[in-house]
Amino acid sequence: MAYQLYRNTTLGNSLQESLDELIQTQQITPQLALQVLLQFDKAINTALANRVCNRVNFKGSLNTYRFCDNVWTFVLNDVEFREVTDLVKVDKVKIVACDGKNTGNAAE
Amino acid sequence: MASSANSNPVPKLYRSVIEDVINEVRELFLDEGVDEQVLMELKTLWENKLMQSKAVEGFHTEEQAALQAAAHQQAQQATQQAQAQQVLLPPQQQVTSWQSTRPTVTSAPQQQVIVQDPKILQHMSATGMSAAATAATLALPTGVSPYHQLITSQGQILQFVRAANGAQYIIQPQQQMVLQQQVLPQMQPGGVQAPVIQQVRPITQVLAPLQGGHPQQTGVIIQPQQIVLTGNKVQQNAQVMQMPGQPGQVQQIQQQVQQVQQAQGGAAPGPPQQQAKQQPPMMLQVDGAGDTSSEDEDEEEEEYDEDEDEDKDKDGGEDGQVEEEPLNSEDDVSDEEDQELFDTENVVVCQYDKIHRSKNKWKFHLKDGIMNLNGRDYVFSKAIGDAEW
Repeated sequence: MAYQLYRNTTLGNSLQESLDELIQTQQITPQLALQVLLQFDKAINTALANRVCNRVNFKGSLNTYRFCDNVWTFVLNDVEFREVTDLVKVDKVKIVACDGKNTGNAAE
Repeated sequence: MASSANSNPVPKLYRSVIEDVINEVRELFLDEGVDEQVLMELKTLWENKLMQSKAVEGFHTEEQAALQAAAHQQAQQATQQAQAQQVLLPPQQQVTSWQSTRPTVTSAPQQQVIVQDPKILQHMSATGMSAAATAATLALPTGVSPYHQLITSQGQILQFVRAANGAQYIIQPQQQMVLQQQVLPQMQPGGVQAPVIQQVRPITQVLAPLQGGHPQQTGVIIQPQQIVLTGNKVQQNAQVMQMPGQPGQVQQIQQQVQQVQQAQGGAAPGPPQQQAKQQPPMMLQVDGAGDTSSEDEDEEEEEYDEDEDEDKDKDGGEDGQVEEEPLNSEDDVSDEEDQELFDTENVVVCQYDKIHRSKNKWKFHLKDGIMNLNGRDYVFSKAIGDAEW
């Protein structure tokens, strides 16, 4: 099973909202919606692994860190994200990272 | 596709994910006996939300845009009901740019509800008609760059014009008054319910805009005949009016609003016009309660209070004191959403290869991530970072 990690992204959230709307109007069942989300998980994981290929560097100060259930959660401050093309600065960012070694479980 | 996405892999990626998912679940849908139509609806909803979020640039390909435009055309010609977001002009207009243009491009409208109306809409197209040209066309004062149109449920197109100074004006066709309203830039995410345009009348006049001074202020002069209705936040602005020194008129205006919305054009045009006359020297400010001289307003404060409370509420004031759709003026909606102070919590969702720490120096080796920074989406296959704790 692929990580459900990516459900809380723009793409994932918009999908969830859309599914919710359809459930509201009873056009689909919640069960079906869940299936769609699972399919989404697979698709996004595959897409990220195969279709993206760029590097980003970042630097900042670490405010908090947490490691629980093999999931790292960091909060960084005053971070600069640098890509070849551009630079993005943020005051605060939260990073949630699941274990990237091989097939992880469907953990968020 | 692709031409614009060279430097930005995100739209392509998203699009391919959407396609993949939709194709994969088609079978699931059929198994459940759900119509293909619903599947298409899901896709449309999904894409629309993505567009609305503006987290992705140039999300739509031109084809998609053209398809949508065609679909919208039909829908609009029938009912002229704009959909929950923006309605695209016919394919002749380039649609791709309209959503994704950055706020710096003032001439290219970012949020528009474009209704098919050849008279005005084509002016309002997303082709990036120069602000000057459009202004000229619309007989707008110079320095005003057009663009926001809201379609009211009662069939008026309110054209919101965003002046260079950020103040916004509404041009009401056939009105001699100018509604200066705060156009919430985030109409879409907020779930703007598309007001319906039924008519578009030629613009006759643009009154001297009230100089609010604040970009987010709204001064409202309401002509009872043509008042914006519906659940739009636009209307909410109408309620919030503070006229320094002339609180009485504000009330009248508010009352007018109520009347109008009920009567729809029957309300006495007298008082508002009077107000109009008296108003030009006035500065209407709506940026929160109590910033105008309260002394004079004390007496009238009572009726006024409700509105002020709503102002303070700053929270989708739907339970209207007023029967009209809430005119949510409240929020200090900034003009540029791309400021760093954007609401979004910047989030990175990814997987880790290796996390290393030495004393208080941390090193991160991450991969396959999606980032949302300052409201925009980015992706990476690898990310390396350093931080000191």
